[in-house]
Amino acid sequence: MLYKCLLLLLAIIQISGAEHETSVLPEAYVDAAQRSTHTNNWAVLVDASRFWFNYRHVANVLSIYRSVKRLGIPDSQIILMIADDMACNARNPRPGQVYNNANQHINVYGDDVEVDYRGYEVTVENFVRLLTGRTQNGTARSKKLLSDAGSNVLIYLTGHGGDGFLKFQDSEEITSQELADGIQQMWEKKRYNELFFMVDTCQAASLYEKFTSPNVLAVASSLVGEDSLSHHVDPSIGVYMIDRYTYYALEFLEKVQPFSKRTIGEFLQVCPKRVCISTVGVRKDLYRRDPHKVPITDFFGAIRPTRVSTDRINVTLANEEDFVNEVAHVQPKKQFKIIIEPQFTAKILK
Amino acid sequence: MGLLSDPSLSTHNKLVDNLAKHMRKLCYAFYTAGVVWFMCLALPEFNHGTYLSENALSPGLVYPEIRIDANRLAVQMLEELQRERKDHQATTPHAWILAKLNEFGLETHTHNYTLRYPFGGGKEFHGKNIYGILRAPRIGSTEGIVFSAPYRPPNSVHVDITPSVPVLLAFAEFARRKNYWAKDLIFLVTEQEQLGMQAWLEAYHDGDKEGDNSNSYLLAGNLPARAGSLQAALNIEVQDLEIDYIDVKIEGLNGKLPNLDMFNLVQRIMAREGVTSGYKQTPRKKRRSNFSTYEQNLRQMLAMLSTQSSGVPNGNHGLFHRYRIDALTISAAKRVTNSNVKSNPSSAAVPLLKAIEGIARSLNNLLERFHQSFFFYVIVHNDRYISIGDYMPALVALIACSFLKAYLTWSTLDVIERRPQQDGDVAEGYLGPAMQSMKLSLPYGVVLLYLALALFIGYVGNVLPLQKYFMELPLGAGPLTGSILVALNLIGLVLPFVVVLPAGGLELLHISLLLIYGCALIVIGLLNFSLGFFVAVLSVPMVVALNTGKMNRTLRGLTRLWTLLLNPLVVIYTIILIMSFYQFPELTFQQLLLRAASAAMDAVTFALIDSVIYGNWLYFAICTVFLPLWIICWTLALAKRSDNKISQTKLKAN
Repeated sequence: MLYKCLLLLLAIIQISGAEHETSVLPEAYVDAAQRSTHTNNWAVLVDASRFWFNYRHVANVLSIYRSVKRLGIPDSQIILMIADDMACNARNPRPGQVYNNANQHINVYGDDVEVDYRGYEVTVENFVRLLTGRTQNGTARSKKLLSDAGSNVLIYLTGHGGDGFLKFQDSEEITSQELADGIQQMWEKKRYNELFFMVDTCQAASLYEKFTSPNVLAVASSLVGEDSLSHHVDPSIGVYMIDRYTYYALEFLEKVQPFSKRTIGEFLQVCPKRVCISTVGVRKDLYRRDPHKVPITDFFGAIRPTRVSTDRINVTLANEEDFVNEVAHVQPKKQFKIIIEPQFTAKILK
Repeated sequence: MGLLSDPSLSTHNKLVDNLAKHMRKLCYAFYTAGVVWFMCLALPEFNHGTYLSENALSPGLVYPEIRIDANRLAVQMLEELQRERKDHQATTPHAWILAKLNEFGLETHTHNYTLRYPFGGGKEFHGKNIYGILRAPRIGSTEGIVFSAPYRPPNSVHVDITPSVPVLLAFAEFARRKNYWAKDLIFLVTEQEQLGMQAWLEAYHDGDKEGDNSNSYLLAGNLPARAGSLQAALNIEVQDLEIDYIDVKIEGLNGKLPNLDMFNLVQRIMAREGVTSGYKQTPRKKRRSNFSTYEQNLRQMLAMLSTQSSGVPNGNHGLFHRYRIDALTISAAKRVTNSNVKSNPSSAAVPLLKAIEGIARSLNNLLERFHQSFFFYVIVHNDRYISIGDYMPALVALIACSFLKAYLTWSTLDVIERRPQQDGDVAEGYLGPAMQSMKLSLPYGVVLLYLALALFIGYVGNVLPLQKYFMELPLGAGPLTGSILVALNLIGLVLPFVVVLPAGGLELLHISLLLIYGCALIVIGLLNFSLGFFVAVLSVPMVVALNTGKMNRTLRGLTRLWTLLLNPLVVIYTIILIMSFYQFPELTFQQLLLRAASAAMDAVTFALIDSVIYGNWLYFAICTVFLPLWIICWTLALAKRSDNKISQTKLKAN
């Protein structure tokens, strides 16, 4: 009896699921959609909290910084915001150094860290201006997000969050609505191709709830109502070293090499509840590609397909007629129907 | 005519009238409710477990780095200090302490102060504190933490706490080699108990102020160096390097307490280092008691309240509270030699040193002063507390009696007055204006004068002993203050027999007493809950029982006796009598009475000296608040009101 019921249930699920299957779509579209179309990579890494006992947030952000830099995003395309100076805090027994592990293997505040916004410059206003490209006149080039329609942007936020906000500097908050509006503006101003939004705070999932802009993939260290926890303490420094989610994300990223085949889909599963204690939240409905087919280096590196050619290439200035002719002779594409997956899966429950 | 002043509208309310009939029952119900509520607070359902609210403290996240060599240093320094003490029977070996602090490379200074003792013709005492500052290596000297140890010379009457200084110095030597201090650390050795600490604190905060301090008794002088705003302080009293347990003392001047976070921090870290520690901790033998938890909790609460109520700090930490610096004393008790507990003397003090290091590092993490947790609380158990919101209702319920009685008496004043009148006046319509005139015709001026007189007597008690010509008398401070207070009390005692109040004066005096009494107790209760609560518990029933109207003869007699017993001086004498009975059980009754009398004399003198040197307001409160209130109570208790006397005056008035 039970077995029959189970079968019936499976059948129902299959039927209801069938209409959303990608197999309905023409293969050409699926392929086209899966192919990466970005031309450059940017990263915005923000630690919004200050004070010595929040050492771990600085360690979080510096660790991610180290990873993206190792995977090829140049410093000129990383905007690093750090709200407090842990390395030079008077309480730091290791002056000028920040570690992300009690073993103290890696000084993540090494010689080549470029902090773009530091201390009291890390404000909600500056962050929103940075995202939307509305920086004030005279802002240094290194403090601008000069991305374009071909940019894949990684946004990483860490600090103290609540339901629907992230605290900046112990004095102000950015709300999830403000964040969603900022990203919508980025989309409208063609400032990104795809956006990977990663948050490690308490109730992190509340921050991506209001997003409506396309091509955004979001991951959060905890669901609404949950706390994100720290990983371990370094008793010689006397503070928590790193947060759990970032710790496991880093463990994954450390194994990634610039030409690795690892995908974002794998990355989204780095921290199961067993180790993270909080539940990792993922939002995929705005993202049109299958994360399991997207290489992680699309966001965490700056790898674009290159072809090494030993042939001689004649580089001449193109004539205008060539373009006109080319456009004229392009064959019309085959028509196909597009079914967009519904954002909310409430239909299943009906 | 205004609505409020319309005489045709009866101000009488049936409810009020009915309540007034049961006024006394109602008041006693409130009183019982207050006391029962207080007793309930000892139940685990009514108090809460302690927790740390200040994130920055992050207690116990660091491994202590202090090692056995610090202990060795402490042992060695203790031996040296013991040798020094042979040559310094009544003084502090300043040179030795100074040399040690210098040797560790601290910025060392001496602070001189002078006490101009106000009594017995005036004498001057000189004292010297020594302190070393360890400057935070990588930050401006804007904030500081104090670690202090009192020094007692061998001829001191108090318990020997010589090892405190070596422990402090051993920690200073360790701290000197660390680079993570974000606040300056001050290592301070004070002498002459609280006087030295008070002088140092005064000098630290007001020393550089220009002003004539010819009037003050303690000339604190100035300090050669400071370390910014002090954030917290830890006072260390160690009886021996081999520690049995640690008693955490928190009660400060005028019953102020350090932030609960600080107490919790100490408890947390002591527990981590495996040191038995607690509030009012007692030796292990005594701890094995057969009281129930409820009984223990109640005892702990009452013990805390009684320590707090005198307003005298029970350690040098208490004087810091005045400057809004959270401080407490860790008082390490000597281990009584026990055959089965044998510790290695070369590592005996390591847990204590580790605990001090842990506390220091947590305090070092502070970003601002303690502000997250409670400043007003009662500790029920080492890990349970009652917050102000929970214990205040008890006091409010007690004091509510006096306000309730005042209101009901005032609103039924006319009813009482009317009764003899009704026989004469038949015309009902005439009643209204008569009623109004009754309240207006009360002798406000006379009553106000009487109140002022009572207040003046109390005020005189506060000022008189400090007058120049009295102080220059070759009389000890004790007999002087004692005799002045006794004289003032006698004046208060006789006053009601001399002064006769006009008609209605007693009623008005009664109401004003109730109001003043209620206000005074609420204020005192807010400043020092314990004092307010104890006074309320003792005196509220008496105040409720007082009645200017008709009363049973025996009841009146009882009320008078009670009032007499509650005379401030009698209360002080009784408390001291009970205390000396427990302290000297071998004395005969007569000897006991005499000893208590002299002790009471000393007590009032100390209270006076405390008030002028340290700013303890207990003496002020007793003289200026409790004594005048008592005089008024006494007047009311003596009041005899015969009905015909009233009606005679009424007739005259008509």
